Amino acid sequence: MTEVMTDTAARAPTERQGHSGMLSSFVGRYWLAVTLFLMIAVFAWLRPQILDPANIVTILRTSALMAIMVLGLTWLIAAGKIDVSFMHVAALGNMTAAWLLAGGSGWTIAALAGIAVGAVAGLVNGFLVAVLRLPPLIVTIATGGICASAAAALGKGTSVRIADPGILGELLYVSWGPIPLIAIVVAVVYALSWYAQEKLTFGHYIFATAQSEAAVNEAGISSRRLLLFLFVFSGLCSAIAGVLLAANLSSGQPMIGNSYFIDGLTAVLLGGMMIRVGKPNVIGTTTAILLLSVLVSGSAMLGWADYQRQIIKGLLLLLGVAVAMRASRSPSAHATGA
Amino acid sequence: MPDRLTLPAGFGRFVAFLILVAVVAGAFALIEPRFLSSQNLSAVTRHMATNGLAALGLTLVVIVRKFDLSFAGTACFAAMTIGFLIANGYDLWVCILVGLAAGAAIGAINGIAISVFGLPDIVTTIATGSIAGGLAFLYSKGRTIFQNFMQSGIIDLNDARILGYSVSFFFLIAIYAVAWFLMHRTRYGASFQATGENPVSAYFSGVPTKLYTFLAFVICGMTSVLAVVLILAESGTADTNEGANLLMPAYAGVFLGAALLGGTSVLATLAGTFLITMLLDGFSLIGVPYYYSDGVVSAILLAGVVLFDQRVRMLFHDLSTFLLPASEPREKRP
Amino acid sequence: MTGPALRATAVSKRFGAVNALKDVDFVLEPGEVHALLGVNGAGKSTFIKIISGVYTRDAGTLEVDGKAVDCRTPHDAMMAGIATVQQHPELVSDFTGYENIFLGREADRPRFLARIDRTALKRRGDALLARFPVDIDLSRKLSEMPAVEREIVAILQALAGDHIRVLILDEPTSTLTEVEKAVLFRLMRTLKASGISILYITHRLEEVIEIADRFSVFRGGRKVATMTPAAAAEQGLSLAELMLGETLSSVFPEKAAFPPGETVLSVERLGHGRAFSQVGFEVKRGEILGIFGLVGSGIDELSKVLFGALPPTEGTLSLKGRPLRARTPREALKAGIFLVPGDRRLEGLALTQSSVFNITIGNLGRASGFAGILRRALNRRKSEEFAARVALSPPNLSMPVSGFSGGNQQKIVVAKGLFADADLYIFVEPTVGVDIGARAKLYGLMRDLSRTAAVIVMSSDCDEVHGLADRSFALYKGRPIMRAGEIMTRNQLLLAGILGEARDA
Repeated sequence: MTEVMTDTAARAPTERQGHSGMLSSFVGRYWLAVTLFLMIAVFAWLRPQILDPANIVTILRTSALMAIMVLGLTWLIAAGKIDVSFMHVAALGNMTAAWLLAGGSGWTIAALAGIAVGAVAGLVNGFLVAVLRLPPLIVTIATGGICASAAAALGKGTSVRIADPGILGELLYVSWGPIPLIAIVVAVVYALSWYAQEKLTFGHYIFATAQSEAAVNEAGISSRRLLLFLFVFSGLCSAIAGVLLAANLSSGQPMIGNSYFIDGLTAVLLGGMMIRVGKPNVIGTTTAILLLSVLVSGSAMLGWADYQRQIIKGLLLLLGVAVAMRASRSPSAHATGA
Repeated sequence: MPDRLTLPAGFGRFVAFLILVAVVAGAFALIEPRFLSSQNLSAVTRHMATNGLAALGLTLVVIVRKFDLSFAGTACFAAMTIGFLIANGYDLWVCILVGLAAGAAIGAINGIAISVFGLPDIVTTIATGSIAGGLAFLYSKGRTIFQNFMQSGIIDLNDARILGYSVSFFFLIAIYAVAWFLMHRTRYGASFQATGENPVSAYFSGVPTKLYTFLAFVICGMTSVLAVVLILAESGTADTNEGANLLMPAYAGVFLGAALLGGTSVLATLAGTFLITMLLDGFSLIGVPYYYSDGVVSAILLAGVVLFDQRVRMLFHDLSTFLLPASEPREKRP
Repeated sequence: MTGPALRATAVSKRFGAVNALKDVDFVLEPGEVHALLGVNGAGKSTFIKIISGVYTRDAGTLEVDGKAVDCRTPHDAMMAGIATVQQHPELVSDFTGYENIFLGREADRPRFLARIDRTALKRRGDALLARFPVDIDLSRKLSEMPAVEREIVAILQALAGDHIRVLILDEPTSTLTEVEKAVLFRLMRTLKASGISILYITHRLEEVIEIADRFSVFRGGRKVATMTPAAAAEQGLSLAELMLGETLSSVFPEKAAFPPGETVLSVERLGHGRAFSQVGFEVKRGEILGIFGLVGSGIDELSKVLFGALPPTEGTLSLKGRPLRARTPREALKAGIFLVPGDRRLEGLALTQSSVFNITIGNLGRASGFAGILRRALNRRKSEEFAARVALSPPNLSMPVSGFSGGNQQKIVVAKGLFADADLYIFVEPTVGVDIGARAKLYGLMRDLSRTAAVIVMSSDCDEVHGLADRSFALYKGRPIMRAGEIMTRNQLLLAGILGEARDA
């Protein structure tokens, strides 16, 4: 439909309907990216040091860790479920690794154990929601609470210092110019995820499940298995991010989850405003994460307080939901109006 | 009528609940005799007042089949509002009324967004809760407010006793009595229940369903403020994080109560809150560190939801018929 | 390949004590369009569900192309070459036609990590279209397609499986316009030409004459006839009579004995969008007005406009001589209108609540006094009184209403109406899922109500409307078909509702 409009607009400039339609469709699909660039431009104008390579490295590293944490969450929400335990799973993965390191284990064991804990948490969530069909919000509130407690218990209520951040810690600080290694790794992972989401049956079935689980099951696809996998995957992603955070911060922080809760959900839901309007997707999530990181970095340079950013993020989330509702409603409104 | 002679529905569950309470209390008393001391019972009742008030509004929201994740943030904002007003020397009742109004306002925003504009409840309330939590920092840039608390009289709310128990507990009982009366003895309660049970049939029965969904969120905002007033009274200071600990016990109280007594209701929430508070208090008394409390509450919530869920019991039933294929499962007519 | 495409022999099915299907022999020839007719509960749906593997038969055999098959799941049926398109097919509205047709078949079997070759999907879809030519743009999203194209996508999805021999269509035309129906029928003829047999459920008799080679009539769980439309015409047999058999006049109460009183509702040139238009009638205290209309005829929308749940787009309503402008059911109830909705479980009852709760919820003003406090004793007494009046069984007012049978649930809705104390009662499909005994009681109750109020009955059951109402007319595709004084014989009413004709039969 867009292609047809490009043709007519090129050949017949009088058809302004087509032109403005294309423009509004472009704005609808990419306004988040446009906002990101505008925001970078404004901050760079006010505080040029935001574009210092060292600062860019920081922004990209923070974004990369966040992106790992919410990759699974993006697909879970895209499939019509919710997981509010992700940040506590990350905290538990973080503390498990730190606790083992403090107890004398090597990094390999510590990292694998941290990740395994995440998989178990995801499996529990997935079993309760996909197999027993319990409400995902209540289930993940509860499993999230258990993970948060377990994380705190491992450190007896306080953080655990890590003497040697190990090879992971070193790798996290490898960068070429303004580009850290971890950002490249995450970019590759996200590119692969984009491929899985757009070109493989996997992503196809995720979006189909969100709309009609019945249609998916009737087509011979097990939505139960898909959802179970997505919960396990979400747990894995969160735990990996938690382990990397342990290396990054040289410590295990039991309360680290709290700061990621709103940011993670905001990133996924704002990202859902882009490209596939009304549906969370990996490219949108990436853009939204960058937006949030730039906002944090830039506003810190402007001397804004943490709570002011929190209010802005909350407003962004509210705005994102409202726009998503409008966007997902309008096609059906067109269909009935036609 | 013959049905008047039978016991009321859910009586068996109520007896089971009492036995459970007796067992838990007995176990704690064995491990730590101080559990039954009047001092501890007084503390249990005081904490129960806080948890119970926060859970009450959530109960109404859950009855109309929605979720509210914002009330903890709302409570933080209201706590700082009240603290700010106290520090500036306003009368206590003015401070509390303004705090309640703030809670009602945020509840109203939730209610309008969800019932009128049809936004999804979970994400909307996460967002408004976050905004409210951020707004809590406005008054003092995040610093703890304590000025004038001693003189304002708010501390007395915590210390006042009737028959050896905190006034707040009697307030809780009174407000639950009112809520129970409202829900089960008035047309308004009937309208809340009809809205949650089947919105379409309620609408066709002349119940203004959107209004009642809206009201549930407003009341939820206000009861969380009442809960945080008790926290302020106990701590004697206002902190930006004051309401954050309300979320878990409230959810656990509502859903554990619903699981135990077979449905969401005011009394079920009271029962759930009682059990949760007793467990939390007992664990802290026998020296379990504070950071286990969320985990304990969560684990109990999860166990309650899983064990008492209709579908899970159906699953066990199916499993047993599968293992003992004596009777062929009957097909259902659509 | 010479035998019948499908042969069923002595198929039976019981649900508890009910014989849903008894000794049905059935033959479907290759390339035949075969219509299944019958009133609700006649057994045609059960038969379809047995063939398509949703139910398991208790007795009898099934053969496809001469080979015995045992369809225990829908997948078994599919493998045997039987595909079904449900009345409301499950499709993904955000996906294109191609994507929907091949959902789960993007690769050789459903798996999660197969590449989706969208050009291959298009090629396969176009190949399917080449086999069964139909004018449709499959690259559009389902949400952008009109109803008939969604139906076509569902049919193509069913046919995308290999070697489909039998296609079952469950009331595919109920939501389609005339023009759209022609498109669907063209596709059906194409399929038929390619050797696929179609088994087709419908309530619209004119379609049978138009498209079916043969038809079978089900009644009371048995197949009572199979013949061609031409043979039926030769023998002078009316399809409607075959469907209905004897009319059950005994279940209906006496007609109004007194002349009706004041006019309660009067409607002029009422319309709602495309659903119905130019509807005008009056209904008086003391009488029952019947409106007969099939699914999709507009009776559902008409009932909702009268009850304030949908706004009228044209025309006027007046209640007891004053203009009625109810924008919500709440306002309609206050004005004195009560609706007994067609889907009582979805629209009429709070299932986990008690009868007292359900009876009083429609008129909380009456149920409560000072400060909104419920008058419990009065409500209990009134509920007992009304429960006795509707003969609720068992007369247990405390148990959740989900525990009652369909007929008794409907009685509770009637008791709710009694408590609402309305001047006008509107019944929509009042006896769907109600057994014959409870049905007679409900009809009696409706007559009882009409002594003090006006009653409108809207139903897709012609006999119900004709047997019950003092005056009646039909709604056909949103258009009222009536005669002077709204007096019609049963056959006139039937023809008016099914064919839209006001001629004598």
